[in-house]
Amino acid sequence: MNPEIWRRSPVSFDRRPAQTETRDNWMVVLKYEDESEGPYLIDLSPRTRWDVQDSHLAEIRPGGVPIPDKPGQCTFQKGILVNRMNRTQAAVWHLTGETPEPPAHAAYTDVTESTVFLALVGRRVFAITEKLTSLDFLDPARSAPFLLQGPFSHVPCQVVTLEKSPDRAGILLTCSRGYARDLVAAILDAGEEFGLRPAGQIAFHNWLEELGY
Amino acid sequence: MALTLTCPICGQRNGYEFRYGGEEKGPRPDEEGLSPEDWCDYVHLNKCVAGIQKEWWFHRDGCGAWFTTQRDTTVNLEVEQPEAQL
Repeated sequence: MNPEIWRRSPVSFDRRPAQTETRDNWMVVLKYEDESEGPYLIDLSPRTRWDVQDSHLAEIRPGGVPIPDKPGQCTFQKGILVNRMNRTQAAVWHLTGETPEPPAHAAYTDVTESTVFLALVGRRVFAITEKLTSLDFLDPARSAPFLLQGPFSHVPCQVVTLEKSPDRAGILLTCSRGYARDLVAAILDAGEEFGLRPAGQIAFHNWLEELGY
Repeated sequence: MALTLTCPICGQRNGYEFRYGGEEKGPRPDEEGLSPEDWCDYVHLNKCVAGIQKEWWFHRDGCGAWFTTQRDTTVNLEVEQPEAQL
């Protein structure tokens, strides 16, 4: 990519970054000053995301990972989270590893720069989400990871519950890029009483490692 | 009265998450010999039933699925589970 083109996350936190790196023309915050112990709100917008639409999704394997059969199901392998959205559509989120180019297949659209991507991880996460949405991220009938699609703080979102346990709970959510500023403000406001703080991507990768991913 | 609808993928949700897609009018008429008047009637005329009506809905703020369901228009309540269009 042309080194003069800068890619900007739609999310900016009112905190001073302590450690950053440049990755694929994104300025990625790895760590903020005074992150404390969480829970954390983490901007993952620079992580590559693809939209996959095809009438024969069963024949497509993004990055070698199969697309689940039923809407709402997720597959998490090789650092790639694949979420089945409906009969003809799936979302592919690259949570770890290098930034791949989308395959040449017409089913793929790179939506990295058209959407915002956030992680909400740590203690009392579901106490925070309860203030923002009626979606049930602790649905006992479903085992993590699973996908819910619906309003989160009145914004249409895709939300994946990656972990339900009280101490290490975590969700990932994505929506259109234009909602980023107000959505982040609403989440931080709802999480203030629970000690919610912005954190860099190191905190996210540490959390994934603790879960054994 | 708050309408809730049962999406075949997401389950029961607030009616504000959905977009109304019109009455279920049956299959598209055969174009062979179809007069402009009949086509116009098919597209624009509705029965507007006062009672239980089969109709289309789109889960706009959720999974993006189209489905049909039965709604009692006199009380604005869903009366049957939707027929999934997955």
